[in-house]
Amino acid sequence: MAQLKGATCAIVGVGVTQQGRNLDIPERELRRQALDLALEDAGLGRADIDGYLACHGGVAFEDLRFLGLGPLFSWSLASGGASAISALIVARGVLALGQATHVALCYGFAPSQFRSGSGIGGFGYGYPELFGMVGPSTSHALHAQRHMHLHGTTSEQLGAVAVTQRAYAAKRPGTLGFGKPITLDDHQRSRMICDPLRLLDCCRDTDGGVCVIVTTADRARDLRAAPVRVLGTGTGHNIRNWYDKSVYEHHDDIAPAKARAFGEAGIGLDAVDVAEFYDPFTISVIMQLEEYGFCAPGEGGPFVAAGETGPGGRVPTNTGGGQLSGYYATGFTALVEAIRQLRGEGGATQVAGAEVGLVSGHGGNGGVQNTWAHATALLGAGL
Amino acid sequence: MTARNPHPLDLAPDDLDRPFWEGCRRHEFLLQRSSITGRYHWPAVCDPEAGRDGMEWVRASGRGTVHTYSIIHQVFRPELAERVPYNVVVIELDEGPFFHSNLVDCSNDEIQIGMAVEVVFEDVSDEVTLPRFRPASRPPGNASG
Repeated sequence: MAQLKGATCAIVGVGVTQQGRNLDIPERELRRQALDLALEDAGLGRADIDGYLACHGGVAFEDLRFLGLGPLFSWSLASGGASAISALIVARGVLALGQATHVALCYGFAPSQFRSGSGIGGFGYGYPELFGMVGPSTSHALHAQRHMHLHGTTSEQLGAVAVTQRAYAAKRPGTLGFGKPITLDDHQRSRMICDPLRLLDCCRDTDGGVCVIVTTADRARDLRAAPVRVLGTGTGHNIRNWYDKSVYEHHDDIAPAKARAFGEAGIGLDAVDVAEFYDPFTISVIMQLEEYGFCAPGEGGPFVAAGETGPGGRVPTNTGGGQLSGYYATGFTALVEAIRQLRGEGGATQVAGAEVGLVSGHGGNGGVQNTWAHATALLGAGL
Repeated sequence: MTARNPHPLDLAPDDLDRPFWEGCRRHEFLLQRSSITGRYHWPAVCDPEAGRDGMEWVRASGRGTVHTYSIIHQVFRPELAERVPYNVVVIELDEGPFFHSNLVDCSNDEIQIGMAVEVVFEDVSDEVTLPRFRPASRPPGNASG
């Protein structure tokens, strides 16, 4: 594919607010705080932002006035947990076309203001709700049950995902799991939500804001933050698996997303130093490890149980605790953690010498199956 | 109409699936079929090859196999509190489409992927009949599991 002039883009600013339950901060104020943190990180001012991508699922008519921004465009990108990477793809496009110079991807969400209780999502739609099918834990449980049936995956292997990621979070200040490691026994004793998914197989909603600023590689050189290059991106849509009835045997339509992203980057799987997967449930990590090819189909459970996603494993995965034990920022959790690792800011869970990070997004509650959209990004340290 | 039994069309964006739910009230299990490709669909859609032309609602067998399932313990809606734990099953209908429903006349422990099931209609109100499924009275066929 011919590369447009300036098509190489870099992430030059990242802002992450406090993340947690019941913060009692309005959503647009979360976005404001994240924006200011990202501007400070990049060494940019409000006037530099000439592209705005709202990634919080709603329409962003009022955002700009409140934020004090005056970009050339403000677009809402609503693809659930695939929104962050999808917005990154849009940013690459507008930057390559010269339609903007600095694009802000902005997210701020406060689900605990309208959802009380467990913090386990209860969104549903369509006829399956007549039969009590509500929420992403139910829809992901359908994939987990099928995976167990086909491959012999066990609850203990799901638990290994939870324990491994909690161990990362336990060492990461600011996460829900900080200072609170769990054992496999804790996982096995946690109450059943949607068999086979237990409480510790599920992530919880959290309130928080994230802003990521993207610009062209040539501009990135002059900015304050260590740049993180966008090496490649790709997408796939689960409707293709729906049509051929393999939808419950896949986590998403990952194959085309992976092929596109790795093709653009010109690298193979062995170049990946850290994997940051969208992980609403433990099964998601197991199935993505398989679908991206880090292990054979059906081997995801044993792979995690053997410690291959932990520190020193073959592919350290969700190194900040992920959504399961870190915080749930609807697709930004994984993107932010890859940026942190590639900037060497991973603290106690920094993967030494990490140069290439794989990030995935997964979004739009399927109502009938896990979700619809998948997006892949490959990021690289430096320019 | 109680909160426990929402009308199917309350959950649909429009009434394109109305013939299906009207069929249920007559205890007839309908699917959409493309008269051009012969492929069956649920819910109402365009056939990926033939589009909307030639789509018709036809009587279907109401038989299939359990493709996957979950037992729900979490109370996601107050009106579901007295139903937990309950099952949600995805049935691969003999005609091809998936259909989400509940399995009845079968304990949650007995549910297995691949088991043969058949529709049973439950009149939950004067207006609403829900198609649920029960273990089939026939021996299991050769459908995949």
